[in-house]
Amino acid sequence: MAATAVGTEKKNYLTALKEAIAEEMARNPHMICMGEDIGALGGAFGVTDGLIAEYGRERVYDMPISEATIVGTACGLCLNGKTVMVEMQFIDFISCGFDQIVNMTATYHYRTAGDVSMPMVIRGPAGAYGGGALYHSQMNEAWFANSPGLKIVCPSTVYDAKGLMKAALRDPNPVIFYEIKDLYRRREIEEVLPEEDYIVPLGKARVAREGDAITIVSYGQNVYHCLKAAENLESEGYQAEVIDIRSIVPLDEETIIESLKKTNRLLVVNEAPMTCGFAGEILSRMTEKAFEYLDAPPMRITRMDTPVPWVKPLELYVLPSVEKITAGALKLIKY
Amino acid sequence: MATTTTDTDPAQAQGTDSPVSRPSDRLTHDDYRELLLQLYLARYFDVRLIKEKKRGRLRGTLYSSHNQEAILVGSLYGLEPMDWISPIHRDMPAFFLKDFKAGWENPDRMGMSIEEVCSQVWGKATSPGRARDNWSHIGSKAKRIIHSTSMLAGTIPAATGVTLADRLNGLNTIAMTFNGEGSTAQGVFHEAINFAAVEKLPVVTIIENNQWAYGTPTHYEYALEDFARRADGYGIPGFVADGQDVIDVYDKVMMAVEHARSGKGPSIVECKTFRAYGHGDHDDDRADRYRPEEEVVEGRKRDPLHVLKERMISMGILTQEEADKHPAENKGAGEVTDADFPPKVVEYLTKGVQFAIKAPLPDETEGAMWVFKED
Repeated sequence: MAATAVGTEKKNYLTALKEAIAEEMARNPHMICMGEDIGALGGAFGVTDGLIAEYGRERVYDMPISEATIVGTACGLCLNGKTVMVEMQFIDFISCGFDQIVNMTATYHYRTAGDVSMPMVIRGPAGAYGGGALYHSQMNEAWFANSPGLKIVCPSTVYDAKGLMKAALRDPNPVIFYEIKDLYRRREIEEVLPEEDYIVPLGKARVAREGDAITIVSYGQNVYHCLKAAENLESEGYQAEVIDIRSIVPLDEETIIESLKKTNRLLVVNEAPMTCGFAGEILSRMTEKAFEYLDAPPMRITRMDTPVPWVKPLELYVLPSVEKITAGALKLIKY
Repeated sequence: MATTTTDTDPAQAQGTDSPVSRPSDRLTHDDYRELLLQLYLARYFDVRLIKEKKRGRLRGTLYSSHNQEAILVGSLYGLEPMDWISPIHRDMPAFFLKDFKAGWENPDRMGMSIEEVCSQVWGKATSPGRARDNWSHIGSKAKRIIHSTSMLAGTIPAATGVTLADRLNGLNTIAMTFNGEGSTAQGVFHEAINFAAVEKLPVVTIIENNQWAYGTPTHYEYALEDFARRADGYGIPGFVADGQDVIDVYDKVMMAVEHARSGKGPSIVECKTFRAYGHGDHDDDRADRYRPEEEVVEGRKRDPLHVLKERMISMGILTQEEADKHPAENKGAGEVTDADFPPKVVEYLTKGVQFAIKAPLPDETEGAMWVFKED
C-alpha cells in the first residue's frame, strides 16, 4: 500500500534535511536557495550538496558574507513571488541579519494588511554539546519567539527533520528552522523514511515517551537527555512522559495540557539560557492554563545565564544534563 | 574596472570635450511643463500637510520634502511603469508621482492614487496598508512600490531581491531606491550595493544628500567630498547631480537607469540638496540648536521651482509673466496660499484630502489581524 510504503535504507538527520530541500526544489520551480558557500561546496555541512549541479546559479546563490543582505534579498524575492530557503552557515550568525528578519520580513504580512506574504525558511545548524564555543553553539530561538510574525521549529528526529522542513518550505510565513548539528550524523537516531511525500505539520507536538509520573517538555537535542533521564526514572519506578514540542511558534499547548491532566507535574528542559528563554514561556502558559492540574510547582532546567564555553567540562557545567534532569524530575515527583 | 566613472559631467564620463547628448535632450516642451506642474504638486502636498498638521488634523510626524522635490520628480520621470521604487520618509509624493505620466487620474497607472496616499496620511482604512504603520510606511506589490520602514537603507536588499526575481522571470525592469545621506553609513547599505554590483542587478540608488541626518552634519557622517565616489569601491558608476535642478537630476538618473537597463548593473546618484526644515515637524522649532541660521538661508536659496522656471524662460518655454502667475517658490509653508499654485494642483490634492477626511477608520480588531498568513 503506497501510503505506508517505506524505503529500506536507514538515513541520518542531515540526509533527511537534504532530501527535503532537494524535493521541494523539484516540486516548486519558484524556489530559490541563498547562503554562504552553499554552491560548489554544498554548504559547511553539506545540506545543499548537489543543488547547484542540478539547478545552477539561477536558483542556488553563493552569497557574500552579508547576512542582512541575504535575508533582505530573500525578502525582495518573496515580495516578487518567489519562495526562498536561506542558509545561515551557523544559526549564531543570524544576529547579523536580525533587523532584516524581525523588522522587514516578520512584519511584512502584518503591515501590508495581508497583501504580502513571505514564504521564506531561514535554517541553520544550531545547538551546543559539541565544543563549538560561544559562536557555534547557540540556541537563540527566544529572540525570534518575541518577534511576532515568525514561526520557529526545531526537529529532533530524522522523520521530523524531513517532514518539518517540507512543511516549512510550503508555509506562506517566514520560518526559522533550527537544525541540531550534533544530530546531523548521529548513528543511533537514523531511521528508514517513507518513500512517498509527507510533511510534519508545524505547531504539533510529539509525545516521545508515554508516562504518568511527570511531564518533561523539551525540544532539540535535549529531547535525548530527557529520554535518558526517563530511563533513570523508570529504574526508580516512575514513568515519565516526554514531549518534544517540535514547533516553538506556534506552540502546541493542548498536547502539554492533556499530559498534565495525567501527570500533574511539569518540568521544561531547554539548552538556551534561562532568562526570557522559551522554557519560561512554557511555564508561564501552563501556569495560566493548567494550574489546577499541577500538584507541584512547575520547574525548568536550562543553560545557566552564560554564553556557551568551549572546553568540555566548562560547556557541560552550564548546560542541562541527564543528571540535572533526573534530579529535577525526582524532586517534582516527590514534592 | 571599466564601468567605474565618478563623474559630475556627462561629457567627462564619455571622455570627450565635444557636446554630448543628454537624456533631457529628448524632453519635449510638454515634458517641461509637466515637470513644473509635478514640482508644484509635490510642494503643494508638503505645505498643505504642514498646514493640516498645524491645525491638529493629523497624527504622527511629518517629514517635509520642501526644497528636495526636484529629486523625486526628476528621478521618477523617466521610469517605466513596471519599474520598482523604494521611497523613504521624506519622499511621500513619490507614492503618487510614480508613473504619473500615465495620467494623474488614470486608475490603472502603476502608482498610488492621491486618495490612497491621503488616506494613509490621515490614518484611514482606505490606505493601501489600512493605516497599520505610519506616514510613509506603505507600498504596493501590484504597483511595484517597496513598502518603506523606519530602518533606513533597509529596503535596498529588497530592491535587489525584486529585480533578481524579475530577471529570473525574464522581465527587464529596474529598481530605484531613495535614501538620505545619513543612511549610507548603515552596514546594509554597503552589503546590498556590493551584492547588486556582484550580480549586476539593476538597482539605482538615489542619495538625497540634504546635508543633515536629523541633527548630524555630513562631516560627522562620512569623510568624502562627493559621496558618489564611494561607488568606486563597488566597481560601479557614481553620479553627482544638482538636486535643486530637476533637469540635471533627470539627466544623471537616466544615465544610471540606462546603465541598469542595459544589463550593466547598479549605480549611485548623489543629488546634492538642503533640508529646508527640521528632520520632522517635531523638531522644526529646535533645528536652530544644531543648524546655523546662515546655513539655512543659504541652503534654501535655490528653490527647485525657481531653478526650473529660469531654465524654461531661457529656453522660451515659459514667459516671465507665466512664471510669476503662481509664485510658490521661495516661500515657507506658512507664507504660501492656494493662489500661489496652479488650480489643477490644488484641485487634485484637495480631492484626495476630502476623500481621506470622510474615509472610515479601520476596525479596532484589525490591530490583531494578519500577524500570520493562514493557509
